[in-house]
Amino acid sequence: MNPVWLCPTLPLLLAALYLWPRLRPWLHWLTPWAALPALLLALLAPQAEWHAPWLLLGASWGLTELTRPFLAFTALIWFCAGLYALGYLPRHDQRLQRFYLAWLLTLAGNLILILARDVASFYSGFALMTFAAYGLIVHSGSAEALRAGRVYLGMAVLGEGLLLGGLLLACGEAAEPQLAALPGAITGAQRPGLILALLIGGFGIKAGLPLLHLWLPLAHPVAPTPASAVLSGSMIKAGLLGWLQCLPLGEPGFTGWGGLMLAAGLFGAFGAALVGMAQERPKAVLAYSSISQMGLMTILLGAALLVPGQWPTLAAAIVLYTVHHGLAKGALFLGVGVAERLGRRQPHAVWMGVLWPALALAGLPFTSGAVAKAAMKTGLHVEAAHLAPWWEMLPLLLSFGALATTLLMLRFFWLLRRDFAEQPASSWLLGGWVLAVLASAGGIWWLPLMAQSVRWPDMDIAAAVASLWPIFLALGLAAVARLLRLRMPSIPAGDVLLPLQSAGRALAAGARRLAAGLPGLERRSARSLLRLQEGLFRLAARTRLWEALWLREGALACGVLLLLLILALRLG
Amino acid sequence: MSVNTWLVLLLPSISLCAALAIFAMPEHWHGLRRTLNLAAALAKLALVGWIGWQVALGEVFEVRFALAAGVHFILRADSLALLFLGLSSLLWLLTTVYAIGYLEDSPNRSRFFGFFSLCVCSTTGIALAGNLFSFLLFYELLTLATYPLVVHRGTRRALRAGRSYLLYTLGGGALLLLGTAWLQVLLGDLPFSRGGSLAAAPASLRPTLTVIFALLVGGLAVKTALVPLHGWLPQAMVAPAPVSALLHAVAVVKAGAFGIVRVVYDLYGIDFADSLELLAPLTWLAAATILYGSLRALMQTDLKRRLAYSTVSQVSYIVLGVSLFGPIGTVGGLVHLIHQGLMKVTLFFCAGNYAETLGLHRVDELDGAGRRMPLTSLAFSIAALGMIGLPPTAGFISKWYLGLGALEAGADWVVGVLVLSGLLNTGYFLPLIYRLWFLPQAGPWPDERRLGRGETSAWLLLPALCTGAATLGAGLLAGMPYSPLDWAQLVIQREQAP
Repeated sequence: MNPVWLCPTLPLLLAALYLWPRLRPWLHWLTPWAALPALLLALLAPQAEWHAPWLLLGASWGLTELTRPFLAFTALIWFCAGLYALGYLPRHDQRLQRFYLAWLLTLAGNLILILARDVASFYSGFALMTFAAYGLIVHSGSAEALRAGRVYLGMAVLGEGLLLGGLLLACGEAAEPQLAALPGAITGAQRPGLILALLIGGFGIKAGLPLLHLWLPLAHPVAPTPASAVLSGSMIKAGLLGWLQCLPLGEPGFTGWGGLMLAAGLFGAFGAALVGMAQERPKAVLAYSSISQMGLMTILLGAALLVPGQWPTLAAAIVLYTVHHGLAKGALFLGVGVAERLGRRQPHAVWMGVLWPALALAGLPFTSGAVAKAAMKTGLHVEAAHLAPWWEMLPLLLSFGALATTLLMLRFFWLLRRDFAEQPASSWLLGGWVLAVLASAGGIWWLPLMAQSVRWPDMDIAAAVASLWPIFLALGLAAVARLLRLRMPSIPAGDVLLPLQSAGRALAAGARRLAAGLPGLERRSARSLLRLQEGLFRLAARTRLWEALWLREGALACGVLLLLLILALRLG
Repeated sequence: MSVNTWLVLLLPSISLCAALAIFAMPEHWHGLRRTLNLAAALAKLALVGWIGWQVALGEVFEVRFALAAGVHFILRADSLALLFLGLSSLLWLLTTVYAIGYLEDSPNRSRFFGFFSLCVCSTTGIALAGNLFSFLLFYELLTLATYPLVVHRGTRRALRAGRSYLLYTLGGGALLLLGTAWLQVLLGDLPFSRGGSLAAAPASLRPTLTVIFALLVGGLAVKTALVPLHGWLPQAMVAPAPVSALLHAVAVVKAGAFGIVRVVYDLYGIDFADSLELLAPLTWLAAATILYGSLRALMQTDLKRRLAYSTVSQVSYIVLGVSLFGPIGTVGGLVHLIHQGLMKVTLFFCAGNYAETLGLHRVDELDGAGRRMPLTSLAFSIAALGMIGLPPTAGFISKWYLGLGALEAGADWVVGVLVLSGLLNTGYFLPLIYRLWFLPQAGPWPDERRLGRGETSAWLLLPALCTGAATLGAGLLAGMPYSPLDWAQLVIQREQAP
């Protein structure tokens, strides 16, 4: 039995078991384990490949050097969050079954899109994950959750449309509908710009590209905490994975797009950090932090388009950074639930556990973040000032990025200490969280064993110490703000969504007025046709032909029909 | 005459005999009528399966005799005919099962099932017709056989819809007759053949042939419900649910679309039609219909009306695929002939289930119905997602091939139409799924009835589940031998073979 197809099929099979009402009350105990085979596959299987010409348009699944780390950290987060969910959700909730069903389907989609080597499977997995995740987001059923769900769904549908267009156009140029063939096909395409725009936009909605990020800060705070963890830890990385696999990275001739991505990434990295600091809820702060971190990865992608020669180094840096951020953000989100439950009086060890992933995000030496950031700087260390005038500034900007992240994390802690309502925390919840923290602290050290192309960046003590200044500066700034009792202005989660929505409403009203004319048009044409018809039928009624034909029904009609046929033959 | 000849004749005869026997039967012989209906449907399905297998192996099934000087009656089971036959015989069986459950204890069942069988007989004939004349015979028979089904309930609205239906389709039939007769006078009796039989026509006739093409396609476009000839279809949804299912999935709209396939591919020939520059206008017309139908569907509050406008939009995918010059697009169009049938029949079955079991007719009444009728709602959701074109359902396969076909034909803008149509489809199908599963029940059901032991009667539920599963299977297992996609590729392969 091939383990490759087993990994995503297992959650699907479990989901299918929900069809039997008698099994339903027991199935949630099995849910967390559904992610385990995928983790084992990523860590242990020396090679993984599966071809199924009968599936979809001919499926081929497997792991590459790029996707193996993705599968590993994704499965790990899903596993931890699954254990955590067992303790997080009230045991006797009516909607629990719907949540776990959505959970399993989303997991299956996420695994399929990572394993897929062909475009159809990839798109299937992406769509399954996207739409099933709706059930996770709206789980609480509150008005706020439903609004977040609507925004999420609207943007997701738009994203699916852009993706379909982009993938179709790319496949039209490709020799075969395999993911590996897409970058080459885009390079040789007649209109690569259109394809790139569609793909960058389509995946960008998932990855939280600035202005396409609107769903993210709405969905994360309202979703149950384990769902937020997988949403931010692994699902938004699916957009990044899409970019990595489809875009012509390492191919010359896309410097314009590279500059654009770089600018978008910078804007996202700093803009989201600023807006995030003006948030009132810890999970909204984390959501904006995710947008900010994805911005950093977008910068790397833009750099790869600008300087194609740097791609191998940059690719390794992106993988390192993704794994680091995925695990750290997953652990941070799970930590929110722990802090809420244990309250202010929790032991120091727990605070350390909540703190550690945040320190990693800030880039403290000897954390996964320090490694990832060093790799990033190595990747960007190349002479390219002639391509972008502010290239020289990038290392400094990245340091300021660390400053922003640290401030964001301080804000997160500030909010976390404020809102608590002590509840008992089950051992499932704590177990899942501890596992996630351990994974965040130690998981990245496994990476070079898994992907041979990932090399440790050169780190020396001096550089490590030098990289500390943003953290200290952030601490200083926070202390000053505390002393002066500065209050952050509050920006609603979803930032530009509100003005956009009112503009949209005005537009929709206009469209509705326009559309109201349409039935009238059709009614008028139908009326004139009807008048013609009335005339014809009055004529027919006089001859009573129709009644004779139809009121006698059955056999008579058949007879007349035969007569007509014979008549037609004679005429013919 | 060989065995094969008899087998071809047997195909429409099974349904015809069933129709005649049912007409002759007294109204109260329910058991026998039910048995006869199911036996005939099963026998036909088995026969189509066997013939399909033989055709795949390369066997020839044809019957041909002269009716008058220069006019032949030809029935031939080629791979394209089998594509349509397979769909119609499978859905006939399921719709019959559904209709038995749906019409339980209602009057005039003999009349209904008689015309129902006659309708399937004519669909079979349309599939098998080997020249334009035979096609026309069965095409008109279909018009006449479906009228009593549309007006079955006998209400004022039904009669009005029936009149409108007759006016449109008889008008279309007249155009088709005119085109057929003109062609007959010009070039004699032309059998449908691989690559078309008009390519050899003298160059002086080319303008005339363009006009005839417009007549033929104009006539067929009425049943296909291409804009602006679609007006009858949303009205005809007053018919009972099994009739709507049959009308929208197999019989009427598909007969028109299938006719367009025959005219473009087997009468004119795709190369010849392309050289006459007839394909581009057809593409435009199809694209306009796709978008217009979706826009109108978005505005409907009645569930069946929304589904009807969605049919207007979806059937044009078939025409779109045929009008794209190149094999991939045509595969997309042909495979959508099957896929749209499976998805739309599921949606109408489910709409009928909601109406019969809970009395739900309007979109806003569906809130929370997923909890009360989970299996029906599951089938409905799968089919609706298929209509949107989401993988791994059948609709995705169609859309993928249509998109690639458009690129192959150099009509890149069609990809934009497909994406836009997908967004519009999402706009009117996703809210339904949302209402079913995520909103709480708003109040007591308008007209709840206890049918059977489960959520509804098994006669009503099983067909919907079968077609729902088929919607998923046709997409997920598209690469399997004998899948709709595989068969559509076989059709095109044979079409292109020298």
